Amino acid sequence: MSLTLLCLLAQTFYHLPSSQEEGAVHFPLGCQKVEEEMGWQQSLQESDASKVRTIYLNEPLRNSFCKNFISTAKYSIWSFLPRYLYLQFSKAANAFFLFITILQQIPDVSPTGKYTTLLPLVIILMVSGIKEIVEDYKRHMADKLVNTKTVIVLRENTWKTIMWKEVNVGDIVKASNGQFLPADMVLISSSEPQVTCYVATSNLDGETNLKIRQALSETAEMQTEKQLSSLSGKIECEGPNRHFNTFVGTLYLNDKSPVPIGPDQVLLRGTQLKNTQWILGIVVYTGFETKFMQNSIKLPLKRSNVEKVTNVQILVLFLLLLAMSLVSCVGAILWNEWYGEGIWYIRMKEYISHSLGFDLLVFIILYHNLIPISLLVTLEIVKYIQAMFINWDEDMHYRGNDVYAMARTSNLNEELGQVKYLFSDKTGTLTCNIMTFKKCTIAGIIYGNQSEKSDTDIRKLSLSPSVITESCEFNDPRLLYNFENGHPTKDYIKEFLTLLCVCHTVVPERDGNNIIYQASSPDEAALVKGMKNLGFVFTARTPTSVTIEVMGENFTFEILNILEFSSNRKRMSVIVRTPTGNLRLYCKGADTVIYERLSEDSRFMKETLTHLEYFAKEGLRTLCVAYADLSEEEYQQWLTQYRKASTVIKDRMQSLEECYENIEKKFLLLGATAIEDRLQARVPETITTLLKANIRIWVLTGDKQETAINIAYSCKLISAHMFRIQLNLNSLEATQQAITRHCEALGTQLSKENDLALIIDGETLKYVLHSEIKRSFLNLALSCRAVLCCRLSPLQKAEIVDLVKKHVGAITLAIGDGANDVGMIQMAHVGVGISGNEGMLATNNSDYAIAQFSYLEKLLLVHGAWNHFRVTKCILYCFYKNVVLYIIELWFAFVNGFSGQIIFEHWCISLYNVLFTSLPPFSLGIFEQCCSQKSLLAYPQLYKISQAGNTFNTKVFWFQCLNALIHSFILFWMPMKMLEHDMVLQGGYTTDYLFLGNFIYTYVVVTVCLKAGLETQSWNKFSHIAIWGSIIIWLVFFAIYSFVWPTIPIAPEMAGQVKMVLVCPYFWLGFFIVPIVCLTLNLIWKSIRNTCKRTLLEEVREMESSRAQRFHPTIFRKRVEAKKVQMFLATPPHEIVLQSESFDQSIPRGYAFSQVEQAVITQEELIRSYNTTKSKQDEVTMDSSHSRQK
Amino acid sequence: MKRTSEESQSRLPDNSALKQQQLPAYWLQLTATGVLSGFFATGVFCLGVGIILILSAKSIKEIEIKYTKICGNCAKLREDATNFDKECTCSIPFYLSETMQGNVYMYYKLYGFYQNLYRYILSRSNSQLMGTDLKDVGTCAPFSKSHDGTPIAPCGAIANSIFNDTIILSYNLNSSIPIEVPMLRSGITWWTDKYVKFRNPRSKNLSIAFAGTTKPPSWAKPVYELDQEDPENNGFLNDDFIVWMRAAAFPTFKKLYRRLNRIQYFTEGLPAGLAYTVTGAVTWLAFFSMMAIHLMLKDRKMFFTEQ
Repeated sequence: MSLTLLCLLAQTFYHLPSSQEEGAVHFPLGCQKVEEEMGWQQSLQESDASKVRTIYLNEPLRNSFCKNFISTAKYSIWSFLPRYLYLQFSKAANAFFLFITILQQIPDVSPTGKYTTLLPLVIILMVSGIKEIVEDYKRHMADKLVNTKTVIVLRENTWKTIMWKEVNVGDIVKASNGQFLPADMVLISSSEPQVTCYVATSNLDGETNLKIRQALSETAEMQTEKQLSSLSGKIECEGPNRHFNTFVGTLYLNDKSPVPIGPDQVLLRGTQLKNTQWILGIVVYTGFETKFMQNSIKLPLKRSNVEKVTNVQILVLFLLLLAMSLVSCVGAILWNEWYGEGIWYIRMKEYISHSLGFDLLVFIILYHNLIPISLLVTLEIVKYIQAMFINWDEDMHYRGNDVYAMARTSNLNEELGQVKYLFSDKTGTLTCNIMTFKKCTIAGIIYGNQSEKSDTDIRKLSLSPSVITESCEFNDPRLLYNFENGHPTKDYIKEFLTLLCVCHTVVPERDGNNIIYQASSPDEAALVKGMKNLGFVFTARTPTSVTIEVMGENFTFEILNILEFSSNRKRMSVIVRTPTGNLRLYCKGADTVIYERLSEDSRFMKETLTHLEYFAKEGLRTLCVAYADLSEEEYQQWLTQYRKASTVIKDRMQSLEECYENIEKKFLLLGATAIEDRLQARVPETITTLLKANIRIWVLTGDKQETAINIAYSCKLISAHMFRIQLNLNSLEATQQAITRHCEALGTQLSKENDLALIIDGETLKYVLHSEIKRSFLNLALSCRAVLCCRLSPLQKAEIVDLVKKHVGAITLAIGDGANDVGMIQMAHVGVGISGNEGMLATNNSDYAIAQFSYLEKLLLVHGAWNHFRVTKCILYCFYKNVVLYIIELWFAFVNGFSGQIIFEHWCISLYNVLFTSLPPFSLGIFEQCCSQKSLLAYPQLYKISQAGNTFNTKVFWFQCLNALIHSFILFWMPMKMLEHDMVLQGGYTTDYLFLGNFIYTYVVVTVCLKAGLETQSWNKFSHIAIWGSIIIWLVFFAIYSFVWPTIPIAPEMAGQVKMVLVCPYFWLGFFIVPIVCLTLNLIWKSIRNTCKRTLLEEVREMESSRAQRFHPTIFRKRVEAKKVQMFLATPPHEIVLQSESFDQSIPRGYAFSQVEQAVITQEELIRSYNTTKSKQDEVTMDSSHSRQK
Repeated sequence: MKRTSEESQSRLPDNSALKQQQLPAYWLQLTATGVLSGFFATGVFCLGVGIILILSAKSIKEIEIKYTKICGNCAKLREDATNFDKECTCSIPFYLSETMQGNVYMYYKLYGFYQNLYRYILSRSNSQLMGTDLKDVGTCAPFSKSHDGTPIAPCGAIANSIFNDTIILSYNLNSSIPIEVPMLRSGITWWTDKYVKFRNPRSKNLSIAFAGTTKPPSWAKPVYELDQEDPENNGFLNDDFIVWMRAAAFPTFKKLYRRLNRIQYFTEGLPAGLAYTVTGAVTWLAFFSMMAIHLMLKDRKMFFTEQ
């Protein structure tokens, strides 16, 4: 029986990853393509999607699908009890105690009474149940808020306002501007011309640009109630699935031919209607079948390393328990052999008939409390409060948008203290994703340079990472001065500024007197905004023209063609007819591509190039700006070419690009712009600190290599003297060769930390991740201080994290803000989302959400380290206190013939964990501080202690158990010697076994509480309450409990004990002596270690507490510095001296342009959306101003 | 903790030191001075206590007399179970070299008697001993009922195995006729036992009250005849019985048997120079070779009372 139990324990303790859990790692958006490629898509969902759904229009009775009611709560009132109990008892430890409780019901088997395990178990389940109820109540409230939102729906031929939860499939919904949509629906008609509407999808995919949707022309006229209620027919569509970007359906209207419905007609739940007065839509998916809900799949359950180790240790304790029971059984057999004959007084012979199995059960029940019953619930509460501390932390409160840090799970608090690899997204994580136009060079003159000084001032100010000021924009009066006062380069300046106002894909949106620029490219938005500040205001866009306002005068440029940006072309151009009627081509792009196409007449090439290099050194993103005048016939000729190319069916993009090439030539250089991709506040400092804390930082970005390197430089991840290894290869063999070559070049330095930076792109990584060179690539990557992976798909990000997680065995943390980071956030041991931005997807899938990258410093170094120390101390202490008390039963077994008698009173023993020693673990787990927050931040090296996990492993566990064993021996032996002669009481009274038991029990409580005090480094008022309070609680309980019998029929043995025990002078002697003897051992051990093997932590702690510090701070600082140097010397960084062509040390070019910031897929999708709108709306995408003008 | 004061101003009022984990705290620091002084202080404390203990132990006098061997013939007699009702006595003379001043207690001591066995301790009925329900013998196995099904009172293994040797301490003043030293049979139990835990059934006549029950199999006489002279010491309230019912912690234990009645010669204690005799009326228990008597004479002028 116990063998099966063991198997059961092993299974559940380890929590083998089930297929379900693995399946839960989803990449909910955008990456559907990748998923298909990788075969990650689940067959289940495919089959789901293949089910055809038919929706009958205006026939509500025929549409029966799931309700629009949404419940994210775990329990309902009725399901709470069964479900909660099921969840609790599927935890091995709880199941074990349930098993013990059941065993205790067998008559005569339990030496500890029938209900003594049941009561603590019930208390524990109740406490954890209350916690569950509180948490679930919040979820219910949130659900209620969503479910009771109102929406206008056509019911019985009139518009009625109903709640979201009452919306059914087939309903016709009317939504107005700014509303969130209650369900997935097909757009019928809208207020806008061409039946379009705009939706913000940032809730779903994190993309901030608006998406355009257009209704079918067949339904466009359906606007009045009458028309709508006379609609008849049906919609056939695919079954519910989680792909945002697909929808296949057909509209069958009576008397009309069927019309296909695609994703362009679908409005999803969770999106918000923008710039549109109203829309009408037919609901197709509701509730959990909406794509939004289909994507909010439960997070994979993450377990911390400490938790796993703890489970193993519980298992070990269980084995120990079995071993002790077996030893006791054998003892019982031997004792009966030797003495059994003589024990006439209980007729031993009648009882000896009990089988070995029966005896074993008796002893298992006797010793079962060796496994700490309260550990799980203690940890649960402790971690919950730790999470609240994270939530409350004012240092992680971003005042900019009033966002606090949020611990979305409390399972991983201690894991934060062990992070070794940090995977960071770039955009929105390291950077603010705010581009600012900083500098420019026009006709060989550099502008915007003198703001350097104020810049440093701002840096200093921004040390408090609260609000990012907008003040560090381009600010150089010389430019306008030159322009207005007839500087020789005046014309160039004008042309330059005009170009930047005209050549882009930005859409202006009027908001009163303000103009807000909507752009899919933040670079362009920055440029246009910068121009606006200089007085060149881009005011309006129509399908065919762009209007700019210069010095109060309006100029309209006719836009003839837009030659799109692509990463191959690295440039974008527009062909315009200027107000004066000339044809002109404006172009902006990377220096390399522009310089290739300059005409011989172009000037300022040299000066501009030096300026470009200068910008690059500063970490600024540069764009070259040039123009070319076209003649009428030249243009016409090209136009015919272009028309031909744009109708090509196969490889249209390619033929278009070739066509563009023909006209983009003979440029005249105007100058260059420099845009700052602004880092978030304190990012370089944070990265420096984290590097000092021995955390390796890998940047994984979907962005271009140039941009990534730029950012890595500006955030000091890569320093100028660092060698770079770049891997940009396009075949498996080449990749393999390159990696092998680099590995060989490193030689013995491989796998050690070197002053190297590895830069790899997604293309190369594809080969690396799917072959045998995985391992050697990992070795190479681990030898580098910084790793930069660019142009990664979301899936690749997750794969890299997985690679490190699986092969290195260190704790990984992934941080990101966008939808494309969800994969890696879910994959890493700890996922951190940047919150406060519009896209909530990363946050919703993360374990912790913080508003700024720099808060990672406090989260890891302070909360992480503290929580790790707290949790490990708490766990070890829980083990300790149980072992101390229950091993005493074993010692007692030696004097009572292994009969199974307990030395304590039943209820005392069962309340031990829930009453008398329940507070110290909490005070340790909640308030313990290994050293002050200030020191943890000042000496990031302290993080290594928790990172290495040396405070909690099998060795420490066994040491603690050994310590507990010694304590329990002392705690039994000393009182035993005290009472051996039986004459301790005044009046000559003799004592009984429970008298001894109460002595021992009291000493155990005192010792165990004081041990907690010894473990506590920082004693605050709660520690005092917990430690002294526990001792007092026991004494008070003892006093009351001794008078319970016979009023309440329990504990007859305890009757009168307190009177005899407390008046016994021996008792008070032992009260002081016994705990002192126990703890002196620990104290000596600690002192010796503190003297001989002092760590940095102890050094820092001493420095903190020492009074001398106030008088001679420098001396202590020096000591600590010396210690640091010592530690540093122990593991010196390996300087790389080899100089081969593979190690690049030159400063990279500064070109970077973020047309599409997300991954490959989204870029494709975006381009696709350009194409679709182009055919309908002539040229211009997202033309909101156009519709407005009409 | 200096930080608390610095930051408290910048914090919003609801951000207490507790929420920001800035509670004032004392840092436990094991400095050499602290540890060593604590160490020596403990040492001095222990030394002092030790000296006091040794001094007080010296003022206690103890005489232990083993009678297992001396009364060997009685033990032999008891080996044959049919002789259980035959009386057997033996006497052991001894001399006190020093006067035992103060209160004197007489104990008996058993070696290797496991009163701490799980099933032994379990085998009693507290509600029966409360006198409320004499028939409640639920946990008394294997001594709950006699063969004919009559409930045993007091039931259980503990009660059944009661120590029932009779020990009489006498002195010879100047003749050869021994005179009994006055001893008290009462006042040897815990107060709670005598007045809370053990109660006789409410009745004027104990033998009627115990009707319908039978005596434990090893007992010579029923429980209501334990002390017929003193009704306060009879039935479940018999002090010897109550003392026995408190199960000892170790297999070797002492139990209080009698205390000296300090009258006549004995107001000061047991005077030295007299010839004493211990006479044991050893009944059925003697068939255990490990039986022993321990006459413990103890001066209660111990260090705690400091008379």
